[in-house]
Amino acid sequence: MTQSAVSVRAVTQHFTVEGQSTVALDAIDLEIPPGQFVALVGPSGCGKSTLLSLVAGLRLPTGGTLLCNGEPIVGPVPQRIGMIFQEANLLPWLTALENVAFPLKLRGVPKRERLEAARAMLELTGLGNFADRLPHQLSGGMKQRVSIGRGLVQDPGVLLLDEPFAALDEQTRMVLGDEVLRIWARTGKTVMFVTHNLSEAVYLADRIIVFSARPGRIVDDVPVDLPRPRTFSMMSSERFGALKDRIWAHIRDADH
Amino acid sequence: MLRTPSQIRWAQAALAAVILAGWELLPRFGVIPKLFVPSLSEAIGALYEYRAEYLAHLPATLVEILVSYLLACGGGVTLGMLIASSPRARRMALPVLRSAYAVPMVVLYPVMMVWFGLGMGSKVAFATVFAFVPTLLTTVAGVASLSPHLLETARAFGASRWQRILYVQVPASLPTLIAALRLGGALVIVGVTVAEMLGAVEGLGFLITRHRTLLNSPGVYGGIILVLVITSGHEVLLRRLERRVEKFRES
Amino acid sequence: MRYLEPLLVAVGVCGIFGLWEAMVAGGIINARIAPPPSTIAPMLVELLGRANVIRSLGVTLYEVAVAFLISVPVGFFIGFTLAEMPGLGAVFRPVVNFLFGVPKSIFLPIFILIFGVGIEQKIAFGVFTTVFVLILGGISAVESVPRELVTVARAYGANRLQVVREIYLPAMAPVLLESARLGMIFNITAVLLAEIYGARDGIGYRIAGWGESLQMPQLYAALAIVATLAIAVNELLQQLETRLGAWRQRPA
Repeated sequence: MTQSAVSVRAVTQHFTVEGQSTVALDAIDLEIPPGQFVALVGPSGCGKSTLLSLVAGLRLPTGGTLLCNGEPIVGPVPQRIGMIFQEANLLPWLTALENVAFPLKLRGVPKRERLEAARAMLELTGLGNFADRLPHQLSGGMKQRVSIGRGLVQDPGVLLLDEPFAALDEQTRMVLGDEVLRIWARTGKTVMFVTHNLSEAVYLADRIIVFSARPGRIVDDVPVDLPRPRTFSMMSSERFGALKDRIWAHIRDADH
Repeated sequence: MLRTPSQIRWAQAALAAVILAGWELLPRFGVIPKLFVPSLSEAIGALYEYRAEYLAHLPATLVEILVSYLLACGGGVTLGMLIASSPRARRMALPVLRSAYAVPMVVLYPVMMVWFGLGMGSKVAFATVFAFVPTLLTTVAGVASLSPHLLETARAFGASRWQRILYVQVPASLPTLIAALRLGGALVIVGVTVAEMLGAVEGLGFLITRHRTLLNSPGVYGGIILVLVITSGHEVLLRRLERRVEKFRES
Repeated sequence: MRYLEPLLVAVGVCGIFGLWEAMVAGGIINARIAPPPSTIAPMLVELLGRANVIRSLGVTLYEVAVAFLISVPVGFFIGFTLAEMPGLGAVFRPVVNFLFGVPKSIFLPIFILIFGVGIEQKIAFGVFTTVFVLILGGISAVESVPRELVTVARAYGANRLQVVREIYLPAMAPVLLESARLGMIFNITAVLLAEIYGARDGIGYRIAGWGESLQMPQLYAALAIVATLAIAVNELLQQLETRLGAWRQRPA
C-alpha cells in the first residue's frame, strides 16, 4: 500500500463564538493518495474550508490528527503544501512577479534565484507578459493566475484550493479550470479543491467528497469515472448528469 | 481580562475615576505644582468665584462664534456645493484647497487686527478665515467621493444643474455636510477663543489670558472648562442632527 | 485639457494679485493697510537678506522639527499599542477621542505657566497638539492592514518578524505618512500660534511685532514666506506619500 499524500484521521473541530460552542467538523476520516484530484463540496458552513485550513496548518484541530506524507501537520509547511485562497489575496504593493516569488522570499532564497523561479511560474500560468504589473492593474482572472503561480512556486506535492474561482465570471472560471487541469496533468500534484459549483467539481476531480451541514460530516465519497482528458462536451453527457444528481441529492437533503 | 463589553465599561469608568481623582489629589499633595495644574475642586471653585466676570464676557464670545459660524460654515458649504457640482471646477479647486489647508492661518491674526481693530470684527474675520478652507475642502472632497452614477442618473432624467444640486447632491452628501459642520464649527470656536487670547478687550479668551498674566491658574482653568463646555455643546447638537438625518434617510 | 486646468488656476492666482495691485492704484484699497504686491515683493527679498529674520526663521524651523521628531515616534507607539491590545484600546478609546476633539489652542496659556516663553514651551505645545493626530493615525494604520494578507503570509510560513516586515509595514506606510503630514500641519500651526502669543524669538514673534507696529509690507512679506514654507513641507510629504502608496488603487 502506498502512503497517502494527505491523511485526515478522526479530526474534530469546535469553534467558540460568543460563548457558544459549535462543531464545525465531526470525526472526519479521509485518505488521499498522491496525485489524486479531490473536490470537496457541501452546503455553506459545512466546514470544508475549515478542513483545508487544518491541512494547511493554519490552525490545529480540536481532536484527531492530520498527516502529510505520513508526518503530522503542526504548522504551515509551505514547501510541501501550497495554498490558494478564494480571493487572490495578492500583496498590493508587489508586482505579479514579486508576488509569485513571495513564499521563496520568506524562506530566504536569494533574489535572483527566486525571481527566476517566479518567472517560470508566470510562464506556466500564462502571465509571462504581465510580470511587472501591480495587482490593481490585473483582471480578476489574472490575479488568480498569479495566486496559483504563488502556490506552485515552491513545487509543493499538495495543492489546496479554497473556492479559488468563486469571485470570477463563468467564462474565466471555465478557462482557469482547464488551466488547473493542464498544470495538474503536467506536475502530478495532489489537489484538494473546495467548491460550491457541482459541475466544476465533477468536471475537474477524480473523486468528490460530499459534506453535510453543521456538524460537518462526510456523507458520500463519489469516484468520478469520466475519462481524461476532460472535455467540454462531457458536461452534457448522461454520466456527468448522473454524478451531479447524486451529489445534489445529498446537498438538497442537508440544506433545509 | 478585558473581553466582554461590561468589563470594558467598568474599566472605562475606573479610568475616568482615576483621571478625576488624580486631577484632584496630585496638585493637592504637591506632586504637580498648583501653578501648572490646580486641583479640580479649585478650578470649579474659580468658575463659581468669578461667575459674574465669566457671565459678563460669555455673550461676546457666543455672538462672535455665531456670526463666524454662519459666515464660515454657511459660506464654505454653499461654495463647496457649487464647486463640487462641476467635475472640472472640482479638479481645479482640490489641489489649491489642499495647499491652502496646509497654510497656518494663525499668522493672519495680526493682519485682522490691523484691518478690524481690537473689537468683535477682528475675531469674526479671523475665525471665519480660520474655519473656511477646511469646511470648503471637506465639502468638496466629500461630494467628490460620491458615486458619479448618482449624478449621471439624474442627468439622464433631464435634471438641470440646480435640480441636480438640490435634489441629488445635497441629500446624498448629508453625512459629508455634517462632517464639514463638525470640523468647521470646532474651528470657529477655536478661532474665536484664540483671537480673543491674542488681543481683545472682552470674551472668554481674553479672560483666560488675563488670568494667566495674573498667574491665577484656577481662573485660567475655569475659562478653559467653559470653552470645553461650548465645544461639547456643539458636538451634542451635531450628534442630534446626525441622528435626525439618519432617520430621514432610512424612511 | 490636462494642461489647461493648472494653467487656469495659475492665471486665476495671478489675476487676484493683479486685481489687488489695480485696486490699490485706483485708491479702492488703502495702501497703508494692504500694500500692493509690487511693494511686498521687494520687501520679501529684503527680509530674506536680514540676518535676524533668517535667525528667527531658523528658530521656528528648529522648534517645528524637534516637536515633529518627538511626536511621530511617541504618537505612533501609543497608537500601535492601543490598536494591538484590543481590550486596552477599547478602554482608552473614549479618552483619546475626547482629547482629539478638544481644541488644543486654549491650553496654550498653561504651557506658558509651566515652561515660560522659551523654545521648550513652543516644542512642548507643538508636541501636545500634534501627538493626538499621530495616535489616531497609528490606530487606523494598524486597522488598515488586511487580515487576509496576514493569513497568506502565515500559510507560506512567515514568522512574526516577517509578518511585520512584509505585510504590516508596507500596508501601513501610506496611512502613517498621511497622518504624519496632517500632524505636521497641526504642528506648524501650533508653534506659530505659540510664538505669536508669547515668545522672545521665531518668525511668529516677528509677525506679531510687525503687526503691532503696523509695518504692513514686512507683515505681508513674512506671511508669504511662512505660507510658502508650509506649502513646500506639505508638498514634500505629499509626494512621499504618493510614491509609497502608488500601489493603492486610485479612484478613477
